[in-house]
Amino acid sequence: TMEYSIRAASVEDCKDIRRLIGELAEYEKVADEVTITQRDLERDGFSENPFFHCIIAEFYTAFPPHPTKKGYATYFYNYNTWCGRAIYMGDLYVMSEFRGKGIGRALMSKVAQLGRAAGCRQLNFTVMDWNKSARDFYLRQGCVDITANTGKHFMRCEGEALEHLAQP
Amino acid sequence: MDYSIRAANVEDCKDISRMIMELAEYEKISEHVKITQRDLEQDGFSKNPFFHGIIAEVPEQHKTKDGHTKIGYALYFFSYSSWSGRAVFMEDLYVMPEFRGKGIGKALMSKVAQLGLAAGCHLLDFTVLDWNKSSLDFYHSQGCVDITANMGYHIMRCEGEALQHLAQP
Repeated sequence: TMEYSIRAASVEDCKDIRRLIGELAEYEKVADEVTITQRDLERDGFSENPFFHCIIAEFYTAFPPHPTKKGYATYFYNYNTWCGRAIYMGDLYVMSEFRGKGIGRALMSKVAQLGRAAGCRQLNFTVMDWNKSARDFYLRQGCVDITANTGKHFMRCEGEALEHLAQP
Repeated sequence: MDYSIRAANVEDCKDISRMIMELAEYEKISEHVKITQRDLEQDGFSKNPFFHGIIAEVPEQHKTKDGHTKIGYALYFFSYSSWSGRAVFMEDLYVMPEFRGKGIGKALMSKVAQLGLAAGCHLLDFTVLDWNKSSLDFYHSQGCVDITANMGYHIMRCEGEALQHLAQP
């Protein structure tokens, strides 16, 4: 049997996190969009005021005994002006050969625990509407689809449009 | 009309709370607002704030009939995209009805964009309700894209009993 543990990521994990990010982006069909580097992750996740936090699902093979990182979740704290403190799960990913073993749920559960410990009332995240297996998983956990229910759309401003908007 | 855009401070929380309620009424969800002035003071103005605020203020001679000079606000926080890194998320953008159409909403959003770029962010993210045509048109005119319409992004939420249950190992 494969034993695993869920733990907080450390700066040394950034090489593996970047690899796992790339795999998730391939799965979501957006690999061309990923410009982030290992260096960005080290700076943005592990300095004094981090932009994100990360947890890792780490496996130990019986023989030879060495750890391998097969899943991750990223999260950060945010705010909802209806009910206050919230936790946002940016990414949730388990390598394909390790799915169906409850590891995804264990990672998400850890994010929920951390959020509640920090006084958060909501766990927010996004899912692509074509990703039926992910949507079904989330709905089984009692999550609700805010976009479907309320018509809330996720909007983005970037690149030249963002620079132009920032002009006074 | 003369107005100024500045960072919010803890004394602004009374007005921010008032305007949050006004925005909630506009979005038709006012019964869901549980947050208080005290929550805003604690969560926005202590050592590790959950959010930051900016205020639009008019001079005394333009105050509302109820005597308010703080007539708009935006709340934002820093977030992260594992595709492109640092991002800023604009949680609320609101201008009181009688002060709309004067560029104040754009000035508030522009300030969030400036602050985001200054912090090294590549993205400004936010949400809008799909029936809110005037807001959608405004955002499109600023070059924003609808990630839900274009890529099928759905916003999901876990709260209440479901969140408690999920947190069980």
